[in-house]
Amino acid sequence: MADLGVDLGRGFRLRSPVLVASGTFGYGFDAPLVDRGALGAIVTKGTTLRPRDGNRPTRIAETASGMLNAIGLQNPGVEHVATAFAPLWKNWAVPVIVNVAGESIEDYVAVIDRLEGTPGVAAFELNISCPNVARGLQFGVDARLAGELTAAARSATRLPLMVKLTPNVTDIVAIARAVEDAGADCVSAINTYVGMAIDVRRRRAVLDRESGGLSGPAIKPLALQAVWQVTGALRIPVIGIGGITTVADALEFLMAGAVAVQLGTVNYSRPQAAREIDDGLRAHLEAQGLRDLGSLRLRQPIVASHA
Amino acid sequence: MSPAVLTEAAVVERSIPMAGAVELVLHHPTAAAAARAGQFFQLAVGAPGAILRRPYSVAWARPEIGQIGFIFNIVGTGSAWLASRQRGHAVDLLGPLGQGFVIEPGNRPAVCIAGGLGVAAFPAVVTALMAAGRPVVFLHGARTASQLLPVSRLQGAELRVATDDGTAGLHGSVLDLLASVAVSDVDVFACGPTPMLRRLIEVAQRLELPRSRVQVALETPMGCGVGTCLGCVTPRRGGGYLLTCQDGPCIRADRIDWDGMVDAFHG
Repeated sequence: MADLGVDLGRGFRLRSPVLVASGTFGYGFDAPLVDRGALGAIVTKGTTLRPRDGNRPTRIAETASGMLNAIGLQNPGVEHVATAFAPLWKNWAVPVIVNVAGESIEDYVAVIDRLEGTPGVAAFELNISCPNVARGLQFGVDARLAGELTAAARSATRLPLMVKLTPNVTDIVAIARAVEDAGADCVSAINTYVGMAIDVRRRRAVLDRESGGLSGPAIKPLALQAVWQVTGALRIPVIGIGGITTVADALEFLMAGAVAVQLGTVNYSRPQAAREIDDGLRAHLEAQGLRDLGSLRLRQPIVASHA
Repeated sequence: MSPAVLTEAAVVERSIPMAGAVELVLHHPTAAAAARAGQFFQLAVGAPGAILRRPYSVAWARPEIGQIGFIFNIVGTGSAWLASRQRGHAVDLLGPLGQGFVIEPGNRPAVCIAGGLGVAAFPAVVTALMAAGRPVVFLHGARTASQLLPVSRLQGAELRVATDDGTAGLHGSVLDLLASVAVSDVDVFACGPTPMLRRLIEVAQRLELPRSRVQVALETPMGCGVGTCLGCVTPRRGGGYLLTCQDGPCIRADRIDWDGMVDAFHG
């Protein structure tokens, strides 16, 4: 049977390359009818030091083959996550990766400090790319700041550290290299593209914050190309994200050099998509007579991957 | 809360219950048995470019024959696609979801207020109220007579009608009908456009009808329908937000910060 296991660095091995993306799966408790055990990992909602109410409505809007969101990092804060959620995760078969967000390096480090050593927390994903808070993007669009933040997080944790890149930059490779050099174990790419929709009848922006992050199939070719660029430049593993909806979509990202994928918007319409895509990848490998996912790559990694 | 199902159900009937609306009757015994008045289902749509499910209130459910009905307007490509389903087609549904109306048994009168397509949720509500022994006064407003749900669908309720153009009943708003109802000791169940609900809250204040006696079924744009995307928020009295999908869609009016309510875009 084909091996779908992946290694995200620092010995962090997942049984499946299909993860669920931050913000699309809550903290793992609310999705009905999902077999959590089938997931490679759950990436939580972006978690901040203090609880956040999030943005005023309207927060979401469907666009052609896509969805805009400006949730504004609504979350219960790290203390609640540490005391109410992590003790439950501890008993789950699926690893939980906490997505960490903040407005300053101190914020990020404080969140990590609170969770470091907490059973149930398997890894961190640094959200340096949330487009929906006042200063959320600044780390992700500046290679020096992205590197400084990653280095500070690296010093604060011995757990695997993933950094989620924003595509809203001129040169995503420069940012990716900076976080790799600063000690990230892997990167996830990409977060949403900044977008907007206008209600022509009311003559105003649909979203209360006017702009938001675009996700869904609409961004898939853009995301794929960004991942292609990043995998061509980094030694550390890359987790592909962006509009993945089908097995073929996931295969494209793996062929582009990603070692795993995160599913986002598709979780809303098809709660069992992760299981279906995991099954489909296994079936594809077996049909093609391939032993592992690495065989799918169109080009060899810069150095042999951890797997 | 009843456990949700994710399933395909066959369309057994498609009809036009009133002008501009479509009714789909689906066969799914589990869903029909689980659904409570005021709850909703997320229906998948196959329209090109439509990626989110569409939330629809349960119009009615008849567990004894395994059927469940949905009534909706065609407002965009998603609802147009659903409206094009015919007998024998499959519809993919997730639900029932959210909180229905809280209906306590007893003889205190219930006043239902339905504005426009807000009436879609009410056949089930009237059935549940009658089963609970509650006398029901039903205030039904629409733009014009042809957009009123037929009386036969609200059987057992004392029906009063208002139309914006005066083609049936009172010439005016459904809320104008409230003046004709004794509201000293009633429970109100309301569904309609957000501006109507907001005016209802003002009228209730004037009539000294406590907000705790008013339940509203909210409509907001919705992403997942299950509490993960946090897209469907409603401002909570005292700060923060309620999730329309989990805390609602049926919510007691005193839990809501009405000043923060927005009239959302429904594309």
